[in-house]
Amino acid sequence: MLSQRIIGKLRRYEGWFAAASAVCIATGLYMGLVTSPPDYYQGEVVRIMYVHVPFAQGAMFAYTLLFAGSLWYLWKREPLVDNMCHAAAGVGVFFTTVALVTGSIWAKPTWNTWWTWDPRLVSFAVLLVVLIGYLMLRTFLDDREKEATYAAVLAIVGFVDLPIIHYSVEWWRTLHQPLSISMRGVSIAPGMLVPLTFMSIGLTLLLTYMIMVRTQMIYLQRLLEAKQGRLLSQVQL
Amino acid sequence: MRFFKVIRWIAWKDLLSEIRNRENISSMFFFALIVILIFSFSFSTDPEVIKEVMPGIIWVAFGFTGVIGLGKSFLAEVQNDCLEYFQMAPIPKGAIYLGKFAGNVLFMLAAEMILFPLFILFFNLNVLDKLPQILLILVAATVGLSALGTLFSALTVQIRAREVMFPILLLPLAAPVFIGAVESTRGVFNGDPFTFYSDWIQLLIVYDIIFMVVSFWVFEFILDY
Amino acid sequence: MAAIRGVELSKSYHHYQVLNSVSFEIGEGACYALFGANGAGKTTLLRILATLIRPSSGRFEMMGHDGVREKEKVRECFFLISHGSHLYDDLTVMENIQFAVGLRGLSPAEREIKAALDRVGIGAFFRLKSRFLSAGMKKRLSIAKAILIRPKALLLDEAYASLDEKGVGMMNDLIREFNKGGSAVLITSHDRAKTAEVAHRAGVLRRGALREMAVKDLLAADALF
Repeated sequence: MLSQRIIGKLRRYEGWFAAASAVCIATGLYMGLVTSPPDYYQGEVVRIMYVHVPFAQGAMFAYTLLFAGSLWYLWKREPLVDNMCHAAAGVGVFFTTVALVTGSIWAKPTWNTWWTWDPRLVSFAVLLVVLIGYLMLRTFLDDREKEATYAAVLAIVGFVDLPIIHYSVEWWRTLHQPLSISMRGVSIAPGMLVPLTFMSIGLTLLLTYMIMVRTQMIYLQRLLEAKQGRLLSQVQL
Repeated sequence: MRFFKVIRWIAWKDLLSEIRNRENISSMFFFALIVILIFSFSFSTDPEVIKEVMPGIIWVAFGFTGVIGLGKSFLAEVQNDCLEYFQMAPIPKGAIYLGKFAGNVLFMLAAEMILFPLFILFFNLNVLDKLPQILLILVAATVGLSALGTLFSALTVQIRAREVMFPILLLPLAAPVFIGAVESTRGVFNGDPFTFYSDWIQLLIVYDIIFMVVSFWVFEFILDY
Repeated sequence: MAAIRGVELSKSYHHYQVLNSVSFEIGEGACYALFGANGAGKTTLLRILATLIRPSSGRFEMMGHDGVREKEKVRECFFLISHGSHLYDDLTVMENIQFAVGLRGLSPAEREIKAALDRVGIGAFFRLKSRFLSAGMKKRLSIAKAILIRPKALLLDEAYASLDEKGVGMMNDLIREFNKGGSAVLITSHDRAKTAEVAHRAGVLRRGALREMAVKDLLAADALF
């Protein structure tokens, strides 16, 4: 079966992704935390950017995968794609949470506040809630075929809405508070760009690895459920 | 042609049921009333403070009203398997969405028409000369909440934790509606000229159009395999 | 032309096989009786034909239209009476019927609806809210809908469930009438004697496979499965 062949391929190549990701992250972290220069304005605190930014990118990538996978599923109804969506959402929650927490840790020494109504932070918070809502919806629906369809619908609606939310919050903030505080305030010196790039690539590989593993887990879970159902079906009433 | 007939039938059926049992509209109304009362205890009667927080309070109240009313959109269909009948019927599923959507908008507006005068009464607002603008904001925001609310009601109606899931899914994604509604209402209360806050109303209208279209298109998948 | 034709229909949930390559043909004006143990897959097969569930493989045709690719056309052809009553508790019997047939594009006069209700024996209750109907009365209401809609294919899941003796007789009269009018009827049942009165062909669903048998063998056999 096609899905079995793909699962086999995933198992064979996941190790490579893990190894490559480990190398990139190790390099990036070493360069970022040890050898790269501190920022002119923010000092050593800027080093958290090497963690925060790639995780934020990863979260957005995860949701893009979720969106594309949801469209694909509604079109072709391939169960493995649905498993991938489920996996991407779970991994997305992890990446979004780390992005939010590191963002908050960055904000405290820089602007003396744990939380700021920066449009990007708000959008990420909403992204987290949407992803958690997605996972909750999947947990609460019993019918497996409906679960996949409804979840895909939710993912698509959320994806369309996120830019609108970002835009609304940005508008709203410029109205009430000048947008002097911004996460974008860091100008990237060349000494910072290299470790940042390593971290970005490394974390993207990590994301891919995590999704590959999680997809297999979910696939096997469904297989087990089905086999249990089959055992029940052997009983002739 | 049958498309529009179906929309009419569904709206007719919902209105008839609601007139008969008045369950939705009374729970929406009383809940919002309680919210108003609690807020009136929580803030001082200083008119400056009231003017500042009033738009937020009003839209929190209407938001909760929406959550209660919209969450029950498809409740009647879940009993007796009526959703199955919709699926088997030779009608485009988007028509069902529009019929339910129309009913929801009417119910929410009806509740708001009763509640808003009460707000004016309790908090001594003098906005009677700006009723057309207020009406415009009410309609635009209600349509926005109902657009996604009707869709998510269909998504959550069959699950056990429906009352929890519905607001969790709807409220974050309805954030632009709340932002737009509060800011434009604030503009009205402050006595700003229309052009100052018309941008927010534009945001509401754009949101309305986008999500009515998206929900209409996506409803096919909810009610059909 | 066969009114309903199934070609190697299979349904499995992941690896749990419910139906395995089921093939059959029901001609216009014919009545096919489907038997099987509880859980054998009769309802699943009917729900596939009613376009409620997607088959895992295989196809079926109704009046020449493909069951999966031309769902809308197929939905014009059939009517399913099954476990769900598809009724709204707050609407009267008359209003429920008007809604149900209205969704299918029909607007029969009140006179016609009353005549159909009289035919199934609940004419006196046309103003009663359907929450007060018993299960048998709800079943008769569904039959009245079928009379008004006059589908080319009538699918009856547990044809005689909830019906009293006279009701069963009325159901059989109706099946004969439908057949004479050219409609195909597919019924599932557990009552061999009553079914044998109207069935032209029969089949037994066991372990996902369909085995045809002659109607006279139906009555003769000790146990079908």
